[in-house]
Amino acid sequence: MKTKAMKILLFISILVTVSACEEATVNVDTINDDAKPLMSLDYRDFDRAASEMIQSMLGSGAMQKSGGGRYVVSTGRIINDTMQRIDTDQLMAKIEEELLNSGQVVMTSVVGDSSKAGAVDETVLKARQEIRDSGVSDEFEQDTLENVAGKGQLIAPELSISGKIFQRNLKYDKKRQQVEYYFQLKVTDIKTGLRFWQKETLIAKRGSNKSVAW
Amino acid sequence: MKTFITTTLFVLVLTVAGCFEPKHDSRIKLREEVGSSSLGDNIVTRTVGGAFSWLIGEGIDVKQAVTRRNEAGLMELHVNGYNRSYDTKRFKYRVEWLDADGMLIQSKTSVWLPMSAMGKSPFGIKAVAPTPEAVNFRMDTKKWE
Repeated sequence: MKTKAMKILLFISILVTVSACEEATVNVDTINDDAKPLMSLDYRDFDRAASEMIQSMLGSGAMQKSGGGRYVVSTGRIINDTMQRIDTDQLMAKIEEELLNSGQVVMTSVVGDSSKAGAVDETVLKARQEIRDSGVSDEFEQDTLENVAGKGQLIAPELSISGKIFQRNLKYDKKRQQVEYYFQLKVTDIKTGLRFWQKETLIAKRGSNKSVAW
Repeated sequence: MKTFITTTLFVLVLTVAGCFEPKHDSRIKLREEVGSSSLGDNIVTRTVGGAFSWLIGEGIDVKQAVTRRNEAGLMELHVNGYNRSYDTKRFKYRVEWLDADGMLIQSKTSVWLPMSAMGKSPFGIKAVAPTPEAVNFRMDTKKWE
């Protein structure tokens, strides 16, 4: 009897010890995150790159249309040439949001990098094909067909934002490596092909060789 | 008595050295082992000055915060500061923008950004408001971990 009680007590104490060792899940304070930096890119790096890009873009005056009005801007291809699997919308969604909020531009969801769901909304063209141009248009209330893009209604973009994120891994010394991440963006006038603005933001990290930067 | 004279002399030399102006254009900073040593900037004054600076905890001074509207109607903030310390000061700053009612404007640009100011040198920070509604700002700083 006594032995059985001892066994139960031992089992409980082991259980308590093991559960105490387990790291508790916590929500990250993304506004004031003082956690140590990582060798790979995390949300703080994207926040920094986006902030610097937006401020440079708006401060340059490149997005201000001469003669008033707002530029129509499309999001072109943003190449991820890093060793990490990055969704470039992590960068572009922030930039697009701030550009729209600035009141200087409007973004188009029709033209852009078709491989990115964030750049192009297929519903606009699909609605036209599947409703207006198909045989089912009679099924819809005729007044609502005006909501679907017709001839001469879509607005072509004037400017395009494109860019690249790439990475360089360097051996710093025997124990440490240096990883450099380059964020490059440019704004091009689609009609003339002239480049109105461009910027590069470098985020460099130095750390243990044991850390993996992908 | 001898100690008193020595100390007084040392303090006097430091004071005179502190008042010494460089002969070259003051806009150009010639750092240790780049420019020639002088009465005001030599291995002794640098060592003593550095230790004293560390002891009294010298750091960043903000000299001026200027705002203006750019051509697009967006508010720009230019902060001019000076690092009084002998060491490079690395810190982070965050600029938040306020509208006419004093309400905070939510923006992806209001994030902690890094800044590095070399010892005994001026530095500048520029920030651009994300919307024309911004009429005021507030700026916070914290140590770069």
